[in-house]
Amino acid sequence: MSVLTMTAAVIVTFNRSAKLMKVLDALAQQTMRPDIVLVVDNASTDDTAALVQARAQADPTIRHLRLPENIGGAGGFHAGIKAAYQLGAQYFWVSDDDAYPQPDAIGALHDALMGFQTQTGWRPSFACSRVEWIDGTLCEMNCPRPVWDWARFVQPERAWALVDSASFVSVMIPRWAVTDHGLPIADYFIWFDDAEYTRRIARSYPGIFVPESVVTHDTPDNKGVNFALVDDKTLWKFRYGARNETSFRLRDAGLVSVLAYAYGVRRQMRSGGVPAPLRRAIYRAILKGYSFRPAIERVT
Amino acid sequence: MSDLASQKPADPALAAHVAASIAEARGIYRTLFPTRRLHYVLSMGHDPVWSRPEVTEGPHLPRPQDLGADYLGTITCPSPHPDAPEVTIRLAIPRPPTPGELRQTDAPWRPIRRLDWLFRASPLAYEQMRYGAEMLRKRRADRQADRVAMPLGRGSALIGTPRPPASDKRPAILIGMHWLEMGGAEKLGFDTVRWALAAGLRVFVVASIPSIQRLADRLPDHPDVTFIRLDRYLPHALWPRYVERLALAENIRAVHIHHCTPLYDSLPMLRMHLPWVQTIDSTHIIEYANGGYPRISGVWSNYLDMQHVISRELVDYMQGTFHAPAGQVVLGRMLDRDDTAASLPPLRLTAGQKTLHVSFIGRLYYQKRPVVVVECLRALDAWATRNGVTLSATIVGEGPFEATLVALLRLHGLSGKVAMLPGKTDIPALLGRSDILLLPSNNEGLALVCYEAVAHGCIPISTRVGSQDEVLPEGLLVPLAPRATVRQTVAAVDAMWRDADLLARHKDGLQQAWTRLSADPTAEEVLTPVYRRIAEGTRA
Repeated sequence: MSVLTMTAAVIVTFNRSAKLMKVLDALAQQTMRPDIVLVVDNASTDDTAALVQARAQADPTIRHLRLPENIGGAGGFHAGIKAAYQLGAQYFWVSDDDAYPQPDAIGALHDALMGFQTQTGWRPSFACSRVEWIDGTLCEMNCPRPVWDWARFVQPERAWALVDSASFVSVMIPRWAVTDHGLPIADYFIWFDDAEYTRRIARSYPGIFVPESVVTHDTPDNKGVNFALVDDKTLWKFRYGARNETSFRLRDAGLVSVLAYAYGVRRQMRSGGVPAPLRRAIYRAILKGYSFRPAIERVT
Repeated sequence: MSDLASQKPADPALAAHVAASIAEARGIYRTLFPTRRLHYVLSMGHDPVWSRPEVTEGPHLPRPQDLGADYLGTITCPSPHPDAPEVTIRLAIPRPPTPGELRQTDAPWRPIRRLDWLFRASPLAYEQMRYGAEMLRKRRADRQADRVAMPLGRGSALIGTPRPPASDKRPAILIGMHWLEMGGAEKLGFDTVRWALAAGLRVFVVASIPSIQRLADRLPDHPDVTFIRLDRYLPHALWPRYVERLALAENIRAVHIHHCTPLYDSLPMLRMHLPWVQTIDSTHIIEYANGGYPRISGVWSNYLDMQHVISRELVDYMQGTFHAPAGQVVLGRMLDRDDTAASLPPLRLTAGQKTLHVSFIGRLYYQKRPVVVVECLRALDAWATRNGVTLSATIVGEGPFEATLVALLRLHGLSGKVAMLPGKTDIPALLGRSDILLLPSNNEGLALVCYEAVAHGCIPISTRVGSQDEVLPEGLLVPLAPRATVRQTVAAVDAMWRDADLLARHKDGLQQAWTRLSADPTAEEVLTPVYRRIAEGTRA
């Protein structure tokens, strides 16, 4: 908690200019507008650059950070948080280019971070929104993970549950967490970068789930991350996910945790009837994760 | 359009915290620089205890690092003199501590990374290796550490000495403490605040170590007691100048040092500019590495008017090593005369008894060797099982070793037999139902808890450190080497449990030592008259 409240929104985008414009519209309508809206453009080849630059002419809060190549969502969040940190932001609201915050979503996250510390004395390492799909149901892939005593401070009027893992879809991170724990791992490229990062910063103190802050995640379908769903089209993402989580588990909990993970993945794939070649590709990714040890970059 | 996030009003509680911190700091620097123009360059700190102060005297050109992300603003306080030189003070306002930090600031203890495997394999082997390394360090430090009192020229009558200025304020004393946290030296520090107040002095308290100062609320709630947070806002290098200003402004007639390094550093200034100020210190323990605070006190012997010590070992140390005058080194036990007046209850342990309750009371820091405590309990548990004795134990204290202790007790299957209680536990009541008190410390002065144990019918067993031989007979002192500590502790308990005559001799020895100690003057008895004379305006 700080008396300083400068807030930066970090949006990572790639070739989804129409959805990105809706996100920027939603940010402009916030009851508490971010001081900086940093659009991290992963070298989009559509009209993203032109549209963002045109908006930036009219709205001085918008900054366009165009990356020379597509370094994935993980690389984008890494670069965006780093740039926002260097711009002096005290809070980082991190989200995807297809998630539309309701007008009070950012203000509610901020109020919750402040209110929680005033009420309990503890400093949450992040605050995350309720993420809904376009039909208003819970978005399966963005459900935060509660800690064992998640209900410790839950009250009827302030239902802030303690969580230790959330996705980068409307999550607010205070500056001190980045100072203490560094940046997201860019080398992950895609998947599990958000889980790894929020679990890392939650070592100081868990984050909080803020149900009154709501965003709509405009994904093509509403599916969770489950290895039963691996198919030819999604295999590349699942391979990154398997490699990254293996690497994380080895670093944080050792070989036994990796073996337990591999067993769980195997069980999911068998239950989903995933074809053998795809299963083997996932196992290879897990093996790759065993020797994949990306460095954590600190901020200065 | 709505407001930007940065325009949101600050949380009222946090705003009040920042305002109070700024007011505290301004009070300190206005005392230090009463005639200067002061610029405060303020930022929001990430540390709950320390403001990282930087002071620049003379023109200051703002730098980018003064205006970083955490920059709060600048306050200028004019001087009564228009041409007064300026001083720039850069402060990072400490953030409010979290509940976890209020309970425990230190990170949980972990073994040295490269020896982690050794600790997992055998905690006692790890302790033994650490002990060996410490002994090696001590031998080296013994050769290096300076043990000569610094000379102090008294000056010539040809050149006059400064005289105290007239003051309309009642005499005051500055009491410097290490910090306001749990500890024996700190307990004496708090006592001296009460005694000085009772003697009629106004009391200013400072602490040298930046900390939460959890026990600050134990200072008397009295208009004549002021706690100044130099620990938080003033660099040590500026303490002597601050002490000089404070002494002149508040008619400070004495400085009493309790393990407060920057006040020792202020002694040359006091001797040169304010020679009328009485200088007193109190020391407790000759620590291993370099002699600790008694060595510092010894080195400054010639600058001190009175060296109060709590054991005969320290009297000999000051007089033998540093040739301090006999009248300057004063023994005053850390005992309460009211307690000593009462008669001793019988010591509880009896030979062949079928239950045994063992207690450990102390902060869970390495000095107290909590890992050795667990190993002693483990060995005593094995001994109790062999002899059909039901063992139970209590560990009282908090500190970075807490998590390690819980894990070790679980590992050794002792969780059900050993209760872990917080530091605020009713110690007399616990000692009143304990048979044995363990104190396998790395160093101690004269552990008050051993004295209290005897007063409540509990037999202490301690390592042979400091002046513990003044309170314990030979058979209840065990060697310092960890393996030997554990072995001899069990042997001592076993011997008393089997041999009623030996037990009676130990009880007799304890009671004699207790009576002997009780006959010595207490700290209150030696310090209060000094404070009274200072309050009356006569030299102590």
